[in-house]
Order: sequence, then C-alpha cells, then structure tokens
Amino acid sequence: MSDALAGLGGSADAGELASPAPMPQESAAGATRSRFWARLRRNKVAMAGAVYLVLVVIAAIFAPLLTSHDETFATRFQDILFSPGEAGYVLGTDHVGRDILTRIFFGARYALIAGAEAVLVALVIGVPFGLAIGYFRGWADRIAMRFVEIVVAVPAVVMAMAIITGLGTGLTNAMLAIGLVFSMIITRLVRAEVFAAREEFYVDGARAAGASDRRVMWRHILPNVAPPLIVQTTLLFAQAVLAEAALSFLGIGADASQASWGRMLRDAELSIDRTIWPAIPPGIAIFLTVVAFNVFGDGLRDAFAREARGGRVGVGDVVPKERSAAAAPPWPSGSDDPLLSLRGLDIVFPKPGEGTDMTVVRDVNLDIGRGEVMALVGESGSGKTITGLSLMGLVPDPGQASAESIVLDGRELVGMDFNELRWIRGREIGIIFQEPSAALNPAYTVGRQVAEPLRVHLGMSKREARERAIELFAEVGIPDPHKRIDAFPHQFSGGMAQRVMIAMALSCEPKLLIADEPTTALDVTVQGQMLDLVGDLARSRGVSVLLITHDLGVVADLADRVAVMYAGEIVETGRLTDVFATPRHPYTEGLIAAIPRNEPRSGDLPTIPGVVPPPWEWPDRCHFADRCPYEAIECRRGPVELRQLGASLTRCERSHELELRGVQHASVVAIAGWEQPSDEPGSGGVMPGLPPGEGGPA
Amino acid sequence: MLRLLVSRVLAAIPLMLMVATLVFFLAQLNPVDPAATIMGDDADLESLAEKRAELGIDRPLVVQYWDWLNSAVVGDLGTNWFNGEEITTELRDRIPVTLSMVFGSLIVALAIGSAFGVLAALKAGRWPDRTITVASSLGLAVPNFWIGLVLAYYVGVKLQWLPAIWPTTRPDSLATWVEALILPCVALGISASAAIARQARSSMIGVLQRDYVRTALAKGLPVRRVVSRHAIRNAAIPVVTLAGFQTSALIGGSIFVEFVFNVPGLGRFGVDAILRQNMPALLGFVMVTAAVVVVVNIVLDLSYAWLNPKVRPE
Ligand code: SF4
Repeated sequence: MSDALAGLGGSADAGELASPAPMPQESAAGATRSRFWARLRRNKVAMAGAVYLVLVVIAAIFAPLLTSHDETFATRFQDILFSPGEAGYVLGTDHVGRDILTRIFFGARYALIAGAEAVLVALVIGVPFGLAIGYFRGWADRIAMRFVEIVVAVPAVVMAMAIITGLGTGLTNAMLAIGLVFSMIITRLVRAEVFAAREEFYVDGARAAGASDRRVMWRHILPNVAPPLIVQTTLLFAQAVLAEAALSFLGIGADASQASWGRMLRDAELSIDRTIWPAIPPGIAIFLTVVAFNVFGDGLRDAFAREARGGRVGVGDVVPKERSAAAAPPWPSGSDDPLLSLRGLDIVFPKPGEGTDMTVVRDVNLDIGRGEVMALVGESGSGKTITGLSLMGLVPDPGQASAESIVLDGRELVGMDFNELRWIRGREIGIIFQEPSAALNPAYTVGRQVAEPLRVHLGMSKREARERAIELFAEVGIPDPHKRIDAFPHQFSGGMAQRVMIAMALSCEPKLLIADEPTTALDVTVQGQMLDLVGDLARSRGVSVLLITHDLGVVADLADRVAVMYAGEIVETGRLTDVFATPRHPYTEGLIAAIPRNEPRSGDLPTIPGVVPPPWEWPDRCHFADRCPYEAIECRRGPVELRQLGASLTRCERSHELELRGVQHASVVAIAGWEQPSDEPGSGGVMPGLPPGEGGPA
Repeated sequence: MLRLLVSRVLAAIPLMLMVATLVFFLAQLNPVDPAATIMGDDADLESLAEKRAELGIDRPLVVQYWDWLNSAVVGDLGTNWFNGEEITTELRDRIPVTLSMVFGSLIVALAIGSAFGVLAALKAGRWPDRTITVASSLGLAVPNFWIGLVLAYYVGVKLQWLPAIWPTTRPDSLATWVEALILPCVALGISASAAIARQARSSMIGVLQRDYVRTALAKGLPVRRVVSRHAIRNAAIPVVTLAGFQTSALIGGSIFVEFVFNVPGLGRFGVDAILRQNMPALLGFVMVTAAVVVVVNIVLDLSYAWLNPKVRPE
C-alpha cells in the first residue's frame, strides 16, 4: 500500500511508466481491435479480475437489497463482536454490533465512487493539460513540467494531505486531492505520447502542409494516446481504491457514518486487543479489488502490446541428430582437410502464437577451408545469421538446433554443453556482429571488454591483458590506442566501434572468424575499409572467415567460396569466380543483379520482387518458386535436392536448361564509393547493361 | 562528479522554494479559522482575535509567507500552535525514527526485490518466474496498514515475539530499537519489494536480449559472469530510478504504518497537523519530506553517473 501512495506520486508503476508497452501502429484498424479482444479474452487472469470487478459493482449497486442490516447502526447493541456465522451474521459483527457483511457491501460503494471521483478528476485535468503542452511545447511545456516536478517532489500522500488541509477533510475532498495528484501522472503520460506521436509523424515525412497539420496531428495522436491512457486509468483506479482506504483509515477520508473499507479498518483497530477478525474482511476486500484492477490493467497492457518475447540467458547448444534414412549424396568437400565442416544442420523455432514448431534452417552443410574466406549470402529471413550463431552454440532461446556433426579442426562440437562450448567461443571461434555500438556493453570501457576474453581464456593478468588490448587496438587501426582503451563505447563512431569488435574477436587468436553483416550498419565510406581490414587480418593470421551478408557485392573482393541461402536452405554453393561468372540458381542471378551500385539501398532486392516469406509459409517444393521468374511446371513436383552442375552445387529443377546471367570478374562489382584495395586494382570489366564506369572502381 | 553534485544541489534550491510556496498557499485555502480550532467553540470573539494576533495570522498572507520563508531559510520552522514547541525541534526528534524505518525497508526491499526479480528473469516463463510474478502482483495490492494490523495482532499480541506497538519510553538500546522497527519495516517494505522485483525482472529480461549480452556469451564467458558483469549493471539503471520513486512512496506509506504501530515519527506529526489545521506543523512536515526526497534523488543521480557512463560528465 505504500505503493498506493507511491501511486499518488506517479511511482507505483514507475517502471511501467518508464517503459511503455509498444503499441500497435495501426491501432485504428478493425483487425487489430479484434485481435486485441481475442488476446484479452485469452488472458484468464485478466478475465478473472474483470469478473470480480463486475461482482463488486453489483454489490455496490444493490447493497441495500443484499442485506437486511443497516450500514451504520447496530441492529441490537448487544451484538458486539460476534464471530462469523454467529446469530445469523455471516461475517460477524464489529465492536459496536454492526453487521460486517453489510458494511462490506456498502464499502464497495464508497470504494468505487471514491475511485471514480479521483480518476475522473485526474483525467479531466490531465488529458487536456497534457495534450495542450504536448501541442504547444516550448515555454508552456517547460512551465508545466516544472510544476509537475514540484508536485512530485513531495511524496504523493503528503501532497494530498497538504491539499486536504486546504480543502478540509472528508471523503469527497480527499479524493479530489488524490485526483489532483494523479492528474500529474496523466499529464506526463499524455504529453509523452504526444511527443512520441509528433516525432513519428515528422520522421515519417508525412507532414501535411499548413492548416491540415493540426487535424492530422490529432488523428495521429489520439489513437496513440488511448491505449496507454486506458491502461493507466485502470491502474490508477486501483491506486485510488487503496488511497481511499488509507486516508479513511487515518480519519481524514470517510467519516464515521460512512462504511468505507478503510473506515472499517480504523474501527477494527479499536477492538484489536480483543480480536483481529473485524479487520480481516475489509482488508481482503481492498486487497482483492486492487489486485483485480491491477491484473485487468496488466491484461489490457499485454493485449495492446504486440507479442512479448521471453528472455532468459537464452542460448542453445546444438544437439546430435541421426542421419536421415534418405541421405543426401555426400557433400563434396571444398578441401580435403577443412577447418570446419558442418553437416545436416536443422534449426526449429516455435511458431509465434502457437505451440507448433517451424523449421527455419533445414539440412545445411558447410565446409570452410583453412585460411579460406567463405561467404554465406542471402536476404534477411534466409537463416544465414542463425546458421552462423549455431556454430558457436548461440542459437537464441527458444530456438533448437540439431546437426549430424560440426567438426572444428578435428573436434566434434555437436553434443558439447554450454560449458564445453565456452572454450570454443571466443577462443577458437571469434565473431563480429552487425551493430557494433549495440554489441559493446555501454557500462564498461572498451579496453576492459577487449581484455576480458584474454583474461578468461588465456589467464592473463590485468596488466598483461591491458597491454595486449592496446597492441590489438593498434593492429586494427584505432588511433591513439593508449588513450582510446579507456573510453566508453558511446565515445566511438560506428566504424571505430567495429574495429573494437574485431580486436575483441581476434584477441585470442581464433581459428575461425564469423563476421555477421560486419559493414551493414556502418557508414558507406568506411564499409570498404572495414572489409579490407577483416581480409588483411585474416590473411596475415591464417584465420578462416565465415562472412555472412545479404550483399554479394561485399564478398566480391574477399571471398574464396560462396554459399547462397534462401528460406532456410542452401540453394547454391561453389567457388566465388564460378558462382559470379555462371550462377546456377535463379536466386543467385537475382542477387548478382541486385548488387548495389550508386543507388540508395533499401531492404528489397531491386530485381526480385517480394521478400523471403515467413518460415511457416515455406512450401514443400522449391522455396523460391513464388518469386522465381523461371518457375515452370516441373518446379512443383516436390522438394528439390542440391545437385552438382559444373563446378557448383545448386538446388533448382531447371538449372541445366537455364542461361543465367553473371559477371565475368567478381572484383568489378565492388560497390562504387568503396576504396579498392591498393594491391588489387579493379580489372576493367563492366557489368552487362550498365553504363560504363558505374560498375567499375570508384 | 563534484560538478554534477553542485549543479544538482543548486537546482534543488528553487525547487524547494516552489514547493514551499505552493504548499503554503494551498494550505491557506481552508476557510476554517485556526484560532477557533485552538480555542474551542465557546471562545468569544475578542479572545479569538487575540489568539489570531498572537499566531500572527491576522496579517496579510503575503507578509505571513515572507516571514515564514525568512525564518525557514535559517532552519526555524516556527512554533507549534498547539503546544508552543519549536517545530524544528519536534521534527528533529521524529526524523530519525521515520528515516530508519524508510531506509530499513528500502534496503531490504532492494535486496529482496532485485534478487527475486533477477531470478525470475533468468527463469523467465518457468515456475520460479510465475511464482515470483504472482507474489509480486499480490504484494503490490496489500494495504501496508492492514498488513501492519495483522502482524501487530499475530506476531505482537498473540505470539508476543516482537513489540506490537512502539515502546512508550524512548528505545534505549540498539536492540530494542531494531526490535521495534522490524514489524513496521516488514509492513512498509512488502509493496516496495514487489515493485522492485517487477522492475528488476522486466529490465533484466530486456537487457538479456541486448546484443552486448550475446557478445559476452560469444566471448566464451560463463553464464554467471555474463549475468553479474554484463547484464546486472545495465539492468540496475531502471531499478535505481524506481528506488527513487519508492523512497518517496515509503515516506508516504510510513504515515500509515506509524499510525498502526504508534511510532512517534513524521507521519503522526503530519496527520495531527492536518486534523487540527496546524499550519506551521504541516508546512514543516511537508518541507522535511520534500527535502528527504530531494536529497535521495541527488544521491540517485550520482549513482546513475556511476552505472551509466553516458551521463557521466566528461
Ligand atoms: S526450381 Fe523452378 S522455381 Fe525453383 S528456382 Fe528453379 S526454376 Fe525457379
């Protein structure tokens, strides 16, 4: 209950206020609304709360009909402190002989009326106030927020007490005071939503000119503000019920003639040396009512929010899988003694909203030679990132990976548990991620983060690890390593942060480096440098690289071999030069044609309409058929196997008859604007169909 | 760090001033004549006027305000209208009682709430999580004065394990002091623990999904280290924010708990002041609680700077 009075100050659910649930964008849509009700109805706890609240309302309305006893006066004065059931009093009597059950029913009235009063006052003041300052901003906002700050600087209940002093005691005044304090919470909430809506509105670039501006604003704001407001109102109602009880308990709310639950507790205290009983029913009534409002409010919040994700330290190891009976032909190895050899990787996830599983990666094989750069290419949703993560046992919960084998340098990784894999992670396999700034922990200096694997894996002392980290910083080209090592991640640009990640990934001299979209989040001007750096470091140390990307252009200069993934399967793999010159799968052709040049990038590939469908829509036949320009009758027969064609493997029924377009020299397709590696000048070829120069080196 | 401290203290001064102004004028809204309250109903007009002059409330409001403010700035909060005591002295005796209750509950609530919240997050979706989630939403709904009554009756009166009410004589040893504090602290701390557990759970779950946790795992760190080094510190930031709110809430809640256990703290003082329209006492009470909240918030701001390097001044 201190929390109730916390609530008075906007504190009860500060956490929830601080991180409002994500609200559906298209909240006006009917479909969203029906899904909202469906989600709410499925929530049994919230529904139980709702049912209980309906009962409270009924008790409040029909209180006089439900009982023959009087609210305030004892029926017979000698009926003092009867136990429950005695002489027909279901819940017994209090210290002056009043029927407790009757008072509980009437108490529901006071609780609901008081709650409604406080919430109404809060809404009537808070909503227009919040909208106005959200709309006018500037000085109006500064003054108003200053005022809110003053009010919440004092504990809410204390502020309410100060207001009550001004208004005089009594239930109505007390709830007015509570409502005034609550209105600060509503004001802040509405203001924040208006600001958020504005932001979104302007960022979208949808700003309409002149007069319609205001109209569009309102239409944009109200749907955004309504869901959190409804949730907050429900939760404030709970707080108001608690506040009513609390203030009545102190004697500054309901007076002696009003059978409020708080007042009943106050009366119960008078006879507490004899029995606790009269305090039990009102306490439980308050408690249940507050719980009911809270769970209902939480249910509303969850129903408004989209699918919540779970999150424990969720990583799964790869479990062994039996070789399927109808085994595919053995995978032709790229080299006789590959560093890493992956066979038969499957990854399944539970389908969102249902219990059933969906396969997101199916039967993936991969070989990475020693010192080789292997590119794994595909659009987002193809399963390439999770394939990379599975090699380190980092498939995020609740995904489940299984494989026939993952052999790294002669060691079988499948079946290792978390702690056995720990000695692989960071030491044998290093990884760099797409978003370097997010991948670094904001709370620690980069130096400590780079030194951490050195200390854990190599047992270095603090000083040694620091010295080594400085060396690594120098090697990855971070200027001023002595100073920068003590900086925090937010003090680094994206490119520099990625260099930190590279230093960290290479710190323990791993045999394999996984680079998951290492340049996608970076500024175009540094993307080339970053790839060169990865390539140079890998070559000079003899590290093998698995380069994961959606952009074939990125791999052109760097990779020795390529595996193209689509919708959970490898659809083509071979030497880079072969794949570029003679693609054997229509999807590869599309990726080659999509290599970005000077055009601004967007998520979709320009030549292949559509996106990778979600896993539960993947058909049994060729997964690419829906988007394939060459789809024909034979593509619909059933699952397509990987076959050898020329020097590559491909998963296409028609590959032998198709004449797919490639490019002769891989290096020419490197993105314009990138710096070409100096030792490898772009050879003059030009992409077919492109104006001369555009496909060439910058 | 020092500059941050100084700037926060400087910002607090106008805030306190405005709180004082707001509360002073708010409290004057009441049409009831304090002199009548003090003298009783049968006092004649003359003696009422005399009393008003004595209290200084016959002067214009602005003059009263200016007067009060001038002495408040140097720590003199005026004289109690009813017993003639110095408000400052009265408050000084009561502050340690309330604060030890509030901070006792807060520290225990932080420890319990964070531990259970983190545990729930690490076991998200499994039974420990469900149990903790249910318990915390029940804990949030329990009225602290009711739990106080129940505890006082069963533990205090029936079992006689701990004092059901505050000792009438000033507790003379640390042991009696702690003994007397236990039940009020439990009653007060339940909802704070529940709120902190909820917050700790949700922010921990959020942090565990962050990329840097994946990075930490990819480095080959043991789970314990990933949680204790990489996750907890970041998850603590919203918990610290909540602790600020909770301090304010606990001070508010202590009023009710003090009432139940008859604790001679600030809360009883404040309630008496309201019931008897005791203006100087009410103002003193409000200013002291505001000051505590402001100080706690400054401390929290400093701890943010430690937890989150981004807000640390260069
Ligand atoms: S199997 Fe048919 S649909 Fe699939 S990629 Fe080949 S040609 Fe296209």
